[in-house]
Amino acid sequence: MIKLENISKVYRTKEIETLALDNINFEVREGEFVSVMGPSGCGKSTLLNIIGLLDEPDKGKLNLNNLEILSYEDKKTARMRNQLVGFIFQSFHLIKELNVYDNVELPLIYRKTPQAERKKRVMEALEKVGLVNRMQHYPSQLSGGQCQRAAIARAVAGDPKIILADEPTGNLDSIIGHEVVGILADLNSKGTTIVMVTHDEMIAKSTHRIVRLFDGRLVG
Amino acid sequence: MLKNYFKIFIKVASQNKLFTFLSLFGISLTIMFVMIFSMTISKITTGSGPEKNLKKIVFCQRVSVHETHNGKKVGGFSISGCGRSLCEDHLKNVKNANIISMYSGPQPWEFIFNGKYQSKLQNQTDAEYWNLYDYKFLQGRPYNKEEVTKSSNLAVITRSLKELLFGSDENVLGKTVRYTSMNLVVTGVVEDPPKTAQNAMGDLYFPYTLIKNNDPTEEYLGGFIIAFKANSSKQFGPIRNEAQEMVARLDAADTLHSVFLSGPYSQVEKMMVGYGDPEEYSVGTSLFKYLMYALAFLLLPAINLMALNFARIHERGEEIAVRKSFGAASRVLRGQFLFENILMTLTGGVIGIILSYLVVAFLGNSLTLRVNFMGSVPLSFSFNYLVFIAALISCLIFGLLSGYLPAIRLSRMKPAVYLKGGEL
Ligand SMILES: Nc1ncnc2c1ncn2[C@@H]1O[C@H](COP(=O)(O)OP(=O)(O)O)[C@@H](O)[C@H]1O
Ligand SMILES: [Mg+2]
Repeated sequence: MIKLENISKVYRTKEIETLALDNINFEVREGEFVSVMGPSGCGKSTLLNIIGLLDEPDKGKLNLNNLEILSYEDKKTARMRNQLVGFIFQSFHLIKELNVYDNVELPLIYRKTPQAERKKRVMEALEKVGLVNRMQHYPSQLSGGQCQRAAIARAVAGDPKIILADEPTGNLDSIIGHEVVGILADLNSKGTTIVMVTHDEMIAKSTHRIVRLFDGRLVG
Repeated sequence: MLKNYFKIFIKVASQNKLFTFLSLFGISLTIMFVMIFSMTISKITTGSGPEKNLKKIVFCQRVSVHETHNGKKVGGFSISGCGRSLCEDHLKNVKNANIISMYSGPQPWEFIFNGKYQSKLQNQTDAEYWNLYDYKFLQGRPYNKEEVTKSSNLAVITRSLKELLFGSDENVLGKTVRYTSMNLVVTGVVEDPPKTAQNAMGDLYFPYTLIKNNDPTEEYLGGFIIAFKANSSKQFGPIRNEAQEMVARLDAADTLHSVFLSGPYSQVEKMMVGYGDPEEYSVGTSLFKYLMYALAFLLLPAINLMALNFARIHERGEEIAVRKSFGAASRVLRGQFLFENILMTLTGGVIGIILSYLVVAFLGNSLTLRVNFMGSVPLSFSFNYLVFIAALISCLIFGLLSGYLPAIRLSRMKPAVYLKGGEL
């Protein structure tokens, strides 16, 4: 489902060059639930951004859903992000001007799904995360756990094959955090491939496999 | 999708009130000026009061004469209105016009009455003048062709001049008005033309033949305007050709002078060309000049709004990054931003239109727009659809000018920078 070959990424600022990813080889099979662990600044987010086509590697090959990414033309990557990937972030990144319903609808809007179909899918996604009764609320009116559930609903509304979650429990207390991971595990059991960055060993152990990063390299 | 953008627009606009105010302020004021200006100009060029046929009339009001020697221009050069002989013996014979009238146009007339200084306008006309323009006669009649030919001491006055000179007297026909050393007998009283009329102007009207001091040696130059009324504006071309051919023949026959006639021009053209050197100011160059002014006028607030847009692009960074993550292509984001920006400028436009009506309604009579050296007109209403189109197009140009470059910058932002999942 996801295959990285010799992927490297360098960030250049005026003063320094940071080698964020150093020759990464990494594969995730369809239906896997993989945890990525490592100290802060080791390149975990960069890895997820590259898998999700939000960033371009400097070297190496990326293969998603049996399709090699040869060019990063804007229209093409936008379409792939829209149809193949669902993102979940530590700080939720819900659009604060839109209510829960409109936030969840976002991927469907960029797919030009017809209105009736959109409504059906949004409601299904909200049911999955148990947020139907909050759909008219704005992000500022929700707790952290509710925000993250809304963000998960948005990530799954378009029914993507891959979910990329960057520390989805980082801003949540442990009970709520486990609840959120439970929802992800549930989605995974129905076939969604998930790559999740986490600092929590317990949570990581509950997934199929743990990948460890250190200074931009894969270890162990 | 548009509903989604609309919600964002409303939220963003209401969250950052200072920015919204600054954006709307510039646009609204500009649109207000565009509206007031075009409404007033539209009122003048459509014709009001006696000028109800204005759209079918063309005018000549400028002639220039160069002295020539062996076909080359030398020394002396004068510009003036049309000469009496040029009008009477030549231009009055233009075949393509229905009505041709020559008149001096409004001239200052200052006098002391009952110990008080008065400043009025007098207009020396032919008899055709009263057919060209539709004055409303309250009493009496206009002077006719025969009376003009005989230089009869007759006058038509306006209601306000009648009230000034004769107070509450009802019937003033047959009474006399003193103009310089002449006693003119009133044959008619007309309703005052509105201030927005730019051709049918004056308080006192009398036969132009009463003024004898026209220099008989000046064949071409003088103080007259000659107006041609056609069946429709389609005749303007033929009328112009005929008039120009007449002047070309005069020019060819005269070895000592080179003569140039400006026009005939429609009201709009006449206002653009103005009273400058007729050979220098053509409709084309004037139109270009005014378009440049208009563009500069619109450009300033557009640049201002663009700067404001640039300054706060980063505020939208997170939203843009999220939209990109979920599949928005750059082109779609540019569209969204332009849409929002045009909504903003249209809102400003609507406010500007409302402001322009308020200004005209409450201050219209005390504020005037200067249209030429003779007169200023009060700011006026006009429900001409062209005026709305002018405002609307201004808003669109605004929205596009001020939104396009910021939209490009915004759509190129790197989402990863705004989506620091790991660190807070
Ligand atoms: N946009 C950027 N510009 C410059 N350096 C960056 C940028 N993004 C990340 N980095 C650097 O790359 C390295 C990896 O960052 P990141 O992938 O965010 O780490 P993690 O998510 O594991 O904490 C860090 O040293 C970070 O400072
Ligand atoms: Mg990170």
